[in-house]
Amino acid sequence: MSAGELDPVIHAPARLRVVATLATLGPGDEMTFPRLQKLLDMTGGNLSTHLRKLEDPGYVAVTKAHEGRKPVTYLALTPAGRRAFEVYTETLRQIVRGATP
Amino acid sequence: MTDDHQDDAPLDAAASLALIDAQRATVVHRAEPSPTYLFTVWGLAWLLGYGALGWGSRTHDGPPGALAGIIFGVLLLGAAVATGIHIARRAGGVRGPSARAGAMFGWTWTIGFAAVYLIMAGLTRAGASDPVLSLAWNALPAFLVGLLYLAGGALWQEMTMYLLGAWIVLVAGAATLAGIPGNYTVMALAGGGGMLGAALVSVILARRRRGLP
Repeated sequence: MSAGELDPVIHAPARLRVVATLATLGPGDEMTFPRLQKLLDMTGGNLSTHLRKLEDPGYVAVTKAHEGRKPVTYLALTPAGRRAFEVYTETLRQIVRGATP
Repeated sequence: MTDDHQDDAPLDAAASLALIDAQRATVVHRAEPSPTYLFTVWGLAWLLGYGALGWGSRTHDGPPGALAGIIFGVLLLGAAVATGIHIARRAGGVRGPSARAGAMFGWTWTIGFAAVYLIMAGLTRAGASDPVLSLAWNALPAFLVGLLYLAGGALWQEMTMYLLGAWIVLVAGAATLAGIPGNYTVMALAGGGGMLGAALVSVILARRRRGLP
């Protein structure tokens, strides 16, 4: 097994933490950008950069909404993103099992 | 990728799994209401509040006096405010089916207690005696709390909450059978004590989930 089998979009600490956090949401649930930022202790700019990289392959869905007059950005894993995270964690487990006989 | 930072260097598999677990634990810690906190707050409010009512009804040899009633009211209101703040802080910033379910569950408490108040107003109007009113004021809210814990435990698959609900509805029944002033002692010790016991159980379960002894 090589690390090449791991999804490179997810296999970076910052994005892995983003995806792991969004994966705790129930199906159909969305989280605001500031809430996600707080749970990750990341700067807004850093988080935006990683979210764009997760949005490009369709792993994360970004919804712009308005609450009153304030614009709010909601984030969620897409079904494809959730599947990719499941495959990724399963691959990690197989690698760890293989490494420790 | 020029905008990648140092923290983007790929980890090995075990470190990646550890990172996922750590992040999940952070989310549970910061974004989920803590059953330990809520059971402790309500357990103390019941233990001391119903304790005050029991003490008040013994010193007056009848229904609890005004001071005992005020202590009880302040403690329960305080617990309700603490619960609201805690849940709003933990559950904020999320929308969707589970946030909706949580909000509906929250409204169920408000609607339920409004109904208890209306029932009690009706019983008072119909000329129910003071002992009957005292017993009903004691039993109905506790019965509602127990049923909602049962419902919440079933909804979120929280066995501790479910068992506590079963215990509380039975305590509501037993307290009514005990009569005045024994009912307040039953509520304080069995009801409040039961909640504090559930708090202890949820501490132990949370530690075990984190792999601590």
